[in-house]
Amino acid sequence: MSSVESSSPKSTGFGGGAPKGRRGLGGLDRPATFWFIYLPPLLWLGAFFVLPVLLMAAFSFRPDMRGDLFQPWIPTLDQYASVADTTSYLRLLGISALTALGIALAAVILAYPLAYFLALRAGPRAGFYLILLLVPFWTSFLLRVMAWKIMLGSDGVVNSFLIYIGLIEEPLTALIYNRTAVVLTLIYVWIPFAALPILAALQRIDNSLFEAAADLGARPYHQFMRIALPLSLPGVVASFFMVFIPTIGEYATPLLVGGSRGFLYGNIIQDVFTKAVNWPLGSALSMIMLAATLILVALAVRLVDLRRLFE
Amino acid sequence: MKSKHRSYLGGVLLIVVLVLSACSGGGAPAADVPPGELTGSLTVLDWAGYDAPDFWIDFQNTYPNVTVNFEIGASDADIYGKMKAGDQADIFHPYTGWLQFYVDEGLVEEIDTSKLSNWDKVPDSFKAIGQIDGKQYFIPWDWGFSSILYRTDKIPEGVDSWAALLDPKYAGHISMWDDGPAAVTVSTYIHGYDETAVTDEQLAAIKDEWIAQRDLNLFYWAGEPELVEGMKSGDVWLAYAWQGAYALLLGEGVPVAYANPKEGRNSWVGVYGIRKGTENYDLALKFLDAKLGEATGNNVVNLFYYGHSNQDVMNGITDETLKQAFSIDDPNILETTNFTPNLTAEQRDAWTAMWAEVKAAP
Repeated sequence: MSSVESSSPKSTGFGGGAPKGRRGLGGLDRPATFWFIYLPPLLWLGAFFVLPVLLMAAFSFRPDMRGDLFQPWIPTLDQYASVADTTSYLRLLGISALTALGIALAAVILAYPLAYFLALRAGPRAGFYLILLLVPFWTSFLLRVMAWKIMLGSDGVVNSFLIYIGLIEEPLTALIYNRTAVVLTLIYVWIPFAALPILAALQRIDNSLFEAAADLGARPYHQFMRIALPLSLPGVVASFFMVFIPTIGEYATPLLVGGSRGFLYGNIIQDVFTKAVNWPLGSALSMIMLAATLILVALAVRLVDLRRLFE
Repeated sequence: MKSKHRSYLGGVLLIVVLVLSACSGGGAPAADVPPGELTGSLTVLDWAGYDAPDFWIDFQNTYPNVTVNFEIGASDADIYGKMKAGDQADIFHPYTGWLQFYVDEGLVEEIDTSKLSNWDKVPDSFKAIGQIDGKQYFIPWDWGFSSILYRTDKIPEGVDSWAALLDPKYAGHISMWDDGPAAVTVSTYIHGYDETAVTDEQLAAIKDEWIAQRDLNLFYWAGEPELVEGMKSGDVWLAYAWQGAYALLLGEGVPVAYANPKEGRNSWVGVYGIRKGTENYDLALKFLDAKLGEATGNNVVNLFYYGHSNQDVMNGITDETLKQAFSIDDPNILETTNFTPNLTAEQRDAWTAMWAEVKAAP
């Protein structure tokens, strides 16, 4: 992920990339200032991200939940062996990864025109439209997913409308409580998120590039293909990963609209932690997901060659 | 507004008490402090809803100057996980099935029942539920049934067996509780297995049975409101349910009935335990004694439609809907009810893993 995060403008970077001297934010190179600015987030991430992940890794080698949780234990691979024995878990991980891939692609493709419009076509009203785009964030994620329940339920908006216009007599039951409903809901939830990195990338494009292209006779289609699209690719990639990675572990949406057959791998992890109180097994399942996600991201980085993208 | 008023009053009382105790020069041993002047604080790890003062009204009235803080647990597993991780709550509220581990892992203190003034009002059969290895570790408090709740307009022929939850006839209209041990329990009732000694082969068969059931099941419900909504809308025709949902739907005029399966209903009991090592043991006992009080018990019955362990409370029920919900007028119902036995740690791991595999199955 670090390569993706570095897509932010270089000007705020520290060390290597920045020109020598004591420019930038009033002398960031001085150690005191450096620690003052970077220590709080580092401590925060260390305490609430790195440490818990390490703890989880350690727990995944615990034989069971018996005894004091912080007494040392003899490491065992039992949990990993039991996951390997349960092919349905690994299969569901595969399905979840594919589902996340589809959702991320769809969300990015649908978000791109939005971002393009906001960055290059909306003009002075862009700020207003951006706020409109962000309106959904004012309500909780769960509320927005619940809204889909109201939309797709058997006495919901879609069914009521179809019955009203006489197209169907009995409510369609296939609209909700399956994996399709999960996919539809998640795409909707992610579109505004996905638009933001793309918007940022498009806004950074120097307008004179378009003017020059137009002067040289490039038509809008070619301007888009030769300027906007390639220069916004870092944003596209960032937004893809921003959707893909959390979606692999998603569990709330399947709980609400997925019914009995819409579960994703995250639901199994959640169940093992909260319904089974089996933290060692849950930790092993989580570590496997973490590893799988890292491998997939590494593969994707190979394919897309991010370094060239961000130069 | 009412609660604000009350807390204002409480503040005044607190000041009066502080002034009075300052005047008396202190030094009086805690046991001699009149209930109204006793101060201190207790933390209770309870289920959402039970933190409302209605459910500890006797304690609040008797000990107005004791602060009671609540932490909320979402399920038995959640509450056990929190206590296991070192939660400092003085009192916690597990249900039958989930009691043994607290004793095994040394998380619960024995109850000194001689200090409970309401203990005589609790029937012996309930007292026994809080005993493990011959010691009273828990006091029973709320109880109820699990059975099949169904829409009488959609299933006019009625439901007479737990097997209905797995019957293809009701495909797409069944809702099972999202709970592995409950699924195992239902299967053992249907097949006549010994619930306390389910073999590996039986568990494998149970897993296959519930994987097949998944195609008939609309959704697994996690919270009662979700189930009530599903039954009200008509999406769900029959479900594994507690009688709270039954009473709620009856109250709203939805045509529902609560089955008396031939294999017998299931019954569960909620208990309170005191954390081992708490510094507030005496205060916690006072809290639990007040939990057995009549006003508190009446609120459990009238607001949540669950039973209470104080027999005087149950004898006082006159409301017809409630009588129906508890099947109070049916003399045979309790004899044919299956009480939930306590899980061992192995059963907990195996049965919950079975359920996760049902959900993950292709």
